[in-house]
Amino acid sequence: MSGNAGRTIRVDTLARVEGEGAMLIKMAGERVSDVKLRIYEPPRFFEAFLRGRHFSEVPDIVARICGICPIAYQMSAVHAIERALGVHISPEARMLRRLFYCGEWIESHALHVYMLHAPDFLGYEDAITMAKDHPEVVQRALRIKKIGNHLVTLLGGREIHPISAAVGGFYKVPPKSRLHELEEDLKWALDASVETVRLTAGLEFPDFEQDYEFVALRHPSEYPFNEGRLVSNRGLDIDAAEYEDTFIEQHVKHSNALHSVIRGRGSYLVGPMARFNLNFDNLPEVARQVASDVGLKPPVKNPFRSIIVRSVELVFACAEALRICQEYEPPSEPRVEAPSRAGVGQSITEAPRGILYHRYAIDDKGLIVTAKIVPPTSQNQKRIEDDLREYAPRLAGWPLKDATWKCEQAIRNYDPCISCATHFLKLTVEQEEEK
Amino acid sequence: MTRIIGCGNRHRMDDAAGVLVAERLRQLGISANVQLGSAFELVESWYRDEDVILVDAVVTGSPVGTVHVWNGQPLKVPSNPQVSSHGFGVAEAINLARILQLLPRTLSVYGIEGKQFGIGETVSPEVLASVEHVAQQIAASLTPTEAHSLQISSSRS
Repeated sequence: MSGNAGRTIRVDTLARVEGEGAMLIKMAGERVSDVKLRIYEPPRFFEAFLRGRHFSEVPDIVARICGICPIAYQMSAVHAIERALGVHISPEARMLRRLFYCGEWIESHALHVYMLHAPDFLGYEDAITMAKDHPEVVQRALRIKKIGNHLVTLLGGREIHPISAAVGGFYKVPPKSRLHELEEDLKWALDASVETVRLTAGLEFPDFEQDYEFVALRHPSEYPFNEGRLVSNRGLDIDAAEYEDTFIEQHVKHSNALHSVIRGRGSYLVGPMARFNLNFDNLPEVARQVASDVGLKPPVKNPFRSIIVRSVELVFACAEALRICQEYEPPSEPRVEAPSRAGVGQSITEAPRGILYHRYAIDDKGLIVTAKIVPPTSQNQKRIEDDLREYAPRLAGWPLKDATWKCEQAIRNYDPCISCATHFLKLTVEQEEEK
Repeated sequence: MTRIIGCGNRHRMDDAAGVLVAERLRQLGISANVQLGSAFELVESWYRDEDVILVDAVVTGSPVGTVHVWNGQPLKVPSNPQVSSHGFGVAEAINLARILQLLPRTLSVYGIEGKQFGIGETVSPEVLASVEHVAQQIAASLTPTEAHSLQISSSRS
C-alpha cells in the first residue's frame, strides 16, 4: 500500500464501550488531519430535571445517569449538597461511603479489565469468545464482579441505581454481622485481584507514551474516593469550589457531550492512571507490593498499560473493603438531619473512570436552583482525541482491519462511559490525498 | 423453583417487551425480575438448580408481535446486540453460561418480535398485545404450587 494512497477505516459500532457514539479519523499519508469523537446521543437534560426538586431527591435522580457508576453520582451529589447546607456526616457514615464506593469500583473495574479490555490484548473478539479458551479467567471475573455487586446491594438496597444514599448519611445502614459475613468473599477477591495484576502485567503493550496532565483528587493519607484537593502533575492544587475557575466546558459541533479543558492548557487525563500516578504512596501495602512485583511504578504514561493500573486499583478496592468490613461499627444514627437553607456547594469524587464534579445552588426552601455535573468521560473526551491523533500515524502502514482494531483499543483504554457523557460508537478513519 | 426474568429497556420503545411482561406478571401476583439484558448480569442472576424463564424483545424478521418460544437444549436464540449497551444480550448470556457450565436446570426463552428500538416509551400495539398473551401463558404454565410460592415471595419482596 502506498503511503500517499487514500484509505478509509470505518467501524460502524465500536464494541465493548458503554454507550453510543462515533469516531472519525481523517488521514493523509501518515498525517492525521482531523479526529472527532462524535457523541450524537441526544443530551439528557439531567441538570435541568433537577431544578425545582428538593435536595433530598437529588441522590436518587442522579443515580439514574449511569447503570455502572450510580454511586459516583450519588456521592458527588450528597457531598456537594452537604457542603451547601453545612452538614457534617459521622465518621462511621464516612467509612460506609468509602465501602459503598469500593463496591462500585470492584464491579466496574472487574467488568472493564476482564470483559471489555482483556480481549483486546489476547486477540479475542469479545469475552464470550475468550471464555472458550480461558473459562477460569472469565469465571474469576464474574465472581469478583458479583462480590462488588453484593456490596452495592447490601449498602444501597439494590444492585442498579441504589436507593439508600442520603444527604447526611444513609437511609439505612447494615448491622455489623452483615459486613462480617462478607469478609471471606473479600479475602478471596483480594487474592483474585492480585492474580489479576499478574495476568494483565504479562500482556503485550504497544510502545506509546504521552506527556499527559494527570488530574485526580489527593488526600493526605487515603487513596482518594470522596475527599481531597484536586491536583495535577503540573502544579494544579485547588479546592472543588475553585474547579470552574480552572476548568471550562466547550461545546464542539461534532459532539453532544461538552469537551472539558484546563484553561490555557487544553486536554487532561482523569481516571486510574491519574490517580495511581498522583497517589501511589497512599495505596495499601498489598497494592504497592504487587505493582512493584510486576515493575509498575509511577508515572505510567502508556495508556495501554492502564489495564494493569486498573487491576492495581482492584486490589486497593478489595483491600479497603476488607479493612472497613473488619473495623466497622454502625453509626448511632444512619444519618444526620440536613437543614433547609440557601447555599451553594461543590464536590468532586473519584468515579471508577475519574473525577466527577457536581455543583448545586439551593434556595431557602431546600429546592435546587441550578445544578452542574461534569462526568469523567466528558473530561477525557478531548484527551482520547489527542491520543488518537498521536497514535493513528503509527498505524499508517498497517492493514486496514488491524489499524481499525488498534484505534478501538486506544479508545477502550479510557473505559469511556458515553451514556454518562450523554450513548453507540462508530469509528471511521478516512485517508485523504496528501497535499 | 422457577425464576422469571424480563429483559429490556423501558425507554427504547419495543425493547420494553420483556419488562412489560415482568410487570404484568407482578400485577397477577407472580414474582418476576427485570434486567437490562446484559449477558454478564444475566449469567449472574440465576442458579444452576433453578428453572428459568426469560422474556426479551427479538428481531428475526418475523411480523412484529410474533411470539417465539425456545425450550430445551441447545437453545439457539438469535443475537440481538442492538439492545444491550455492551453489545451482549440474551443469546450471548446463554452462550457464555453454556461455556462456563452455568446454565440453569431448565431455560425457556420467550422472544417477542419488535420493530422499533429508538429512544422513547411508545410500544408497538402488536407488541403490547403479545405482552399480555405471553404473561398469561407464563402464568398458566406455572404449577399451582409454584405460582403460590412465587406469590408469597412476591408479597415479601
